[in-house]
Amino acid sequence: MISGFSLLLWAGAVLCWIAYGVQVSQAPDVPRDNLYLGVVLAGVVILTGCFAYFQEAKSTNIMASFRNMVPQQALVWRDGEKKQILASELVVGDLVEIKGGDRIPADVRVISAQGCKVDNSSLTGESEPQSRSPELTHENPLETKNIGFYSTTCLEGTATGLVISTGDQTIIGRIACLASGVGDEKTPIAVEIEHFVHIVGGFACSVGVIFFVISLGMGYKIMDAIVFLIGIIVANVPEGLIATVTVSLSLTAKRMAKKNCLVKNLEAVETLGSTSIICSDKTGTLTQNRMTVAHLWFDNEIVSADTSEDQKNQSFDQSSVTWKHLSRIVALCNRAEFLAKQEDVPIMKRAVMGDASETALLKFSEVVYGNVMAYREKNKKVCEIPFNSTNKFQLSIHETDDPHDKRFLLVMKGAPERILDRCSTVMLNGKEVPLDDSFKETFQTAYMELGGMGERVLGFCHLLLPEDEFPDSYPFDVESMNFPTSNLCFAGLLSMIDPPRSTVPDAVSKCRSAGIKVIMVTGDHPITAQAIAKSVGIISEGSETVDEIARRLNIPISQVNKKDARAAVVNGMQLKDMTDSDLDEILRNHGEIVFARTSPQQKLVIVEGCQRMGAIVAVTGDGVNDSPALKKANIGIAMGIAGSDAAKNAADMILMDDNFASIVTGVEEGRLIFDNLKKAISYTLTKNIAELCPFLIYIIVSCPLPIGTITILFIDLGTDIIPSVSLAYEKGETDIMNRKPRHPKRDRLVNWQLALYSYSQIGMIQSVGAFFCYFTVLAQQGFLPARLINIRVSWEDKNDQDLEDSYGQEWTYEQRRYQESECYTAFFVSIVISQLADLIIRKTRMNSIFQQGMLRNKVLLFGLASQLIIAAFLSYCPGMYDALRFCPLR
Amino acid sequence: MSSKEDKPVEQSQSSWKDFIYNPRNGEFIGRTARSWALILLFYLIFYGFLAGLFSLTMWVMLQTLDDYTPKYRDRISNPGLVIRPKAPEIIFNRSAPSEYKEYTDHLEAFLSKYNSEHQKNNIDCTPGAYFIQDNQPLPKQVCKFERSLLGQCSGITDQTFGYSEGRPCIIVKMNRIIGLKPKPTPFINCTAKKDDKLSVNYFPENATFDSMYFPYYGKLAHDGYVQPLVAVKLLLNSSDFNKKLSVECKIEGSNLLNNDDRDKFLGRVAFQVTVTE
Repeated sequence: MISGFSLLLWAGAVLCWIAYGVQVSQAPDVPRDNLYLGVVLAGVVILTGCFAYFQEAKSTNIMASFRNMVPQQALVWRDGEKKQILASELVVGDLVEIKGGDRIPADVRVISAQGCKVDNSSLTGESEPQSRSPELTHENPLETKNIGFYSTTCLEGTATGLVISTGDQTIIGRIACLASGVGDEKTPIAVEIEHFVHIVGGFACSVGVIFFVISLGMGYKIMDAIVFLIGIIVANVPEGLIATVTVSLSLTAKRMAKKNCLVKNLEAVETLGSTSIICSDKTGTLTQNRMTVAHLWFDNEIVSADTSEDQKNQSFDQSSVTWKHLSRIVALCNRAEFLAKQEDVPIMKRAVMGDASETALLKFSEVVYGNVMAYREKNKKVCEIPFNSTNKFQLSIHETDDPHDKRFLLVMKGAPERILDRCSTVMLNGKEVPLDDSFKETFQTAYMELGGMGERVLGFCHLLLPEDEFPDSYPFDVESMNFPTSNLCFAGLLSMIDPPRSTVPDAVSKCRSAGIKVIMVTGDHPITAQAIAKSVGIISEGSETVDEIARRLNIPISQVNKKDARAAVVNGMQLKDMTDSDLDEILRNHGEIVFARTSPQQKLVIVEGCQRMGAIVAVTGDGVNDSPALKKANIGIAMGIAGSDAAKNAADMILMDDNFASIVTGVEEGRLIFDNLKKAISYTLTKNIAELCPFLIYIIVSCPLPIGTITILFIDLGTDIIPSVSLAYEKGETDIMNRKPRHPKRDRLVNWQLALYSYSQIGMIQSVGAFFCYFTVLAQQGFLPARLINIRVSWEDKNDQDLEDSYGQEWTYEQRRYQESECYTAFFVSIVISQLADLIIRKTRMNSIFQQGMLRNKVLLFGLASQLIIAAFLSYCPGMYDALRFCPLR
Repeated sequence: MSSKEDKPVEQSQSSWKDFIYNPRNGEFIGRTARSWALILLFYLIFYGFLAGLFSLTMWVMLQTLDDYTPKYRDRISNPGLVIRPKAPEIIFNRSAPSEYKEYTDHLEAFLSKYNSEHQKNNIDCTPGAYFIQDNQPLPKQVCKFERSLLGQCSGITDQTFGYSEGRPCIIVKMNRIIGLKPKPTPFINCTAKKDDKLSVNYFPENATFDSMYFPYYGKLAHDGYVQPLVAVKLLLNSSDFNKKLSVECKIEGSNLLNNDDRDKFLGRVAFQVTVTE
C-alpha cells in the first residue's frame, strides 16, 4: 500500500487537500471538488490495497492448508523412563527413539539401529531410501550413515539416537536461516511500475512547473498558480490504473491456479513471463517420478515398452516362449505388493509397498499378466533371499501352478553381470542353449546400450530344480543356501527409467521457440540426466557435448573447440572446482546445459551465475535445501506434491501438479499479462492528455473550464475501469510464445515510445476532438469561441449576474454554471467515445484487429457497452446535475 | 532501483554525457540528427494535420450557426434580474460623499447610454404592445427609453441619486434575452425581506417593463437597443438608518419565473443596504 504507485496516489491526495486548503483560505465557499478528489484518491489506494491483501491472504490460506498442523512429538528417554514430549522441548543430549513412519524430531546421531531406513528427500530432494546404522561411514555429516536429520522421515526399522542439535542449529534450520538471509529481489513488474511512476510523475511535475511559471508570468496570483500546479499534477495521476493492475494480476493468478500454478505473490505472475532461463529439476518435474520398465531384451532383441503415463498398450511381441518364462520370473521374483482395496484404481495409480524398481516391475507385470497377486498365490513362495548390496541379487523359490510338474522353480534377478555369471545356459526362442562367448558379447552390447540410455538394467534367470534332489518336502534354508545358485538359465534383461512426462518435450520446445533456455539441474547421474535431457529435448537432436565431439573425431577433449558443442553436461564435482568466470563461460557458450550430480547448494551458485548474465531466472525445487535457490531466483517455483513446506514458503509460485508443462503455461500467462498490462496502461494514459489539456487551455486562454475534476474522476474510475480490466481478458497474440523474452532493461512496460504515442498522438487527437465538442456546445448556446477568450474571471464571478454573450443576451451565474456542466458533459462524452476507439486500437499490439478477432474478447465488448451505458446514465439520469454536475446533451 | 544497478560514479557520468551527445555515433539525446529531423517533421505534419482538421470542423460548425440568433436558447428561457449599482451590499454614510461617490458614478456611467443624444435615432413606440419587427429590414429599430422616465432617480435633477439624503436609488434591470416576450406586462415589486416596513417609490411609477421594448433581436440586428429599467427609490426613515436592510425585488404579474430554487437571480434579486448618518 506504500509502493511506488500508491505513493503517487497518496501524493495526489495530499496535494488535493493542500489545494483545497489554499482555496478555502482564500474564499471559504469554494466548491469542494478538490476535497472530494483527495478523498477518492485515498479511497482508491486503500481499496486496492485491501484487494491485493485479500488476494494474497487467500493464497496464504491455501499454503497453510498444506502444513501439517499437528505438533510433532518425540519419544524420549528421560529419568530412566520413556516419555512422549513435544519435539520442540528436546535438548542436546536427549536420547530419542525412532520407528518407521516417524519424522525425526532433531538432528540425531544413531546409536543403535535395526533395519532403519530414512527418506532424506525433504533435505536433498532424492527420495531413494537410505539406511541408517551406528557406523561412521563418511567424514561429511551429510553423507555419513550414522546421522539422522531433523524433519526427514524414518521409513522402516527402528533406531535410537542421541540429539546433537535442535532448532536453528539443525541442518534444516541452518538452511532455513540461509533462505531468509537471501534478500528479496524486486519483482520485474515492481521495477516496471516504479519506472512508470517516474515517467508519469516526471511528466506531470515538469508540465506542472512549466505552467506554474507561465501562469505567474500571465499575472495570476501566486495562490492561484499553486492551485493550478496541483491541479495539473493530480490530473496526471492515473487513478484507475492501480486498480486495473491489481485486478489484472489477480485475474491471471486465478487463471493460472486453474492451470495448476498457485501464485503466492501477485507480482510474480508477470515475472514468469519475462523469464529467460528456467533451471528445472529432473525428478518429478520433467519426469513422472516413478520407475517404469522401458526396455526388454530377450531372444537377442531389444524391445521397448510403453512408458506413457497410462501404459495401456504394450506393443511388443508377446508370443515368444522366452517372454513367457521371463515374465514369470518378473512376476514371481518380486517382493512388492499392491496395498489392499485398490481394484478400481488404474494400475499405474495404485499404491504399492516396495521400492521403486520392484514397484515398476510389479506394475509392469500386472499390465501384461493380469492379476499378479493371484498368480503369486498359485505359485507359492517357499523360500526367498532379499536383495542386498553384497550379493546384488534377489532370489526366490516357488511351487509351480502346473499340477503335473512337482518341480520347484527358482527365480533370480539382479545386476546383469552378476546374473550372467551364475548362468550356464540361456533361453533363446524358448529353447535352452549353452551360454557361449558370442552370446556374452551380444549380452554386453545390449547391456551397454540400455545402460547408455541412462536406464537401470536388471538381469533375470531361473532354474527348475530337479524333482529327485528337491522333493516336495525339501527344507530350503536361506542361511546355508542348500540349493543351487549357479548354472542357471538366463532369460533376459529389463531396463527401467523414470520416464519423462509426455507433455514435457512439447513444453520444452515451446520454451525454446519462446527464447527461454531450459537448464536441467539434478542430483542424478550424468548419463541418466543426459538421456532424459535428450528425450525431452533439453539437449536437442544433433547437439553434442564436448566429450561426444572428442569421441566422434577421436581427438583429446582439450583439442575440441568448446564453441562447437551446443550441449554441456556438467558434473557437480566439476562445478565445485569452477570459478565464477568458468561457470559464466559455460552458461554463455552452451545453449543446452545439464547439471548432474549437483548438490542443492550448487543450485544457488548456478542461479547466481545465470543472474550475472542478466537473465531472469525461474527455479524449480522441492527440498528444504532448495529454498535458498528458490529465494534467490527471480521466481522460485515449488512443487506442490513433492515439495517441502520450506520450499513452498520460499517460493513465489507453487506447481500443484509438479509438471514442467505447467510452467510453460505460466510463462505464456505471464507474457500475456505483460502485454495486456501494456495495453491497459497505454489505454489509460491516453486520456490523461485529454484531461490535462483543458486545464492548460483554461489557464492560458482564460476560458470557462472545459471539464471538472469530478467529471475526470468519473472517466478514470467510472467509464474507463471496466474496459481497461477487460484488456486483461484479451487472448495472446499469435507471436506471444515466439518472441524472445523481454529484456529487463530494454523492453519496459512503459517506455518513451508508448508514452509519446499515448500522450502526443492519440491523446492529442482526443483532446482536439473534445475541444471541438466544447466549443460547439458553447457556440450553439451563444458563446462564440472569440467571446470565450479572457472570460474566465467574469464567468466565475458569482456577483456577475448579467454576463453578455456573443449575441447580446445576458446570463446569470447559475445559467452559466449549468452551461459549464454541459461543457463538462460534452467533453466527458467526447473522451468516452474516443476511448471506445482507443480501446479497439489498444486491443492489439502486433496483430491486426482482424487477426485478433473483434468478437473473441466478450469482456471487452461488455466493456465497450458499459462505457456507453455509464456515460448515458450519467448524462441522462435525472438529478445528475445536482449530484455530480452532469447534464443531458442534445 | 536495486543496488546492483549503481554504477561507478565516473561511468554513470560519462554515460550521462554520452546521452546528451554521443560522439561515437553522433547521437544527440538518443537520436541522430537525421532521426530528430524526421521525428520533428512527423510531428509537424501530424500536428499540422490535426490543426487543419480542427479548424475545418470548427469552421463547418460555425457555418451552421446563425449570425443573429444562437442556435439554441433553452439555457436562458427566463431572464435574470440585476441591480445597479452592481454590488451585493450597498453601504455608505449619507453625509460622506466620498463613500457613495462610487455608487453614484456607477449609476451615472450606466445611465449615460440612456442620454437623449444617444437615442436620437430611436423611435417612440406604442406603449402596451410588442414591437414586433420580424419581417422588418435590418437593422431593427429601437424603442426610446428616456432617462427622464426615471424621475428622481434619473440623476438629472438629483446628481447624487438620493444618496446624500439617505434615500438611495437602485436601478433594476432585466437581462436581455433574444425573442423574450413577457406576458402580460411584468412589474417590479420590492419588499424588505424581514418584517421591516419599507416604502419605496418606483420610476416609472407603474414599475413595469413595458411590452414595447420586447422582443429583443440580438446584438447584431438590434444595435443600440436600450433595455427598459425600473428605478427604486428606497424611502428610508431615520429609524432605518444604521442598520442592515435586506431588500428583495421580484418580477411579478407575468409568466416570467421568479421563484426558481436553484437560481436565486431568476426574476428576482436580493441585496442589502446599510445607510449610516
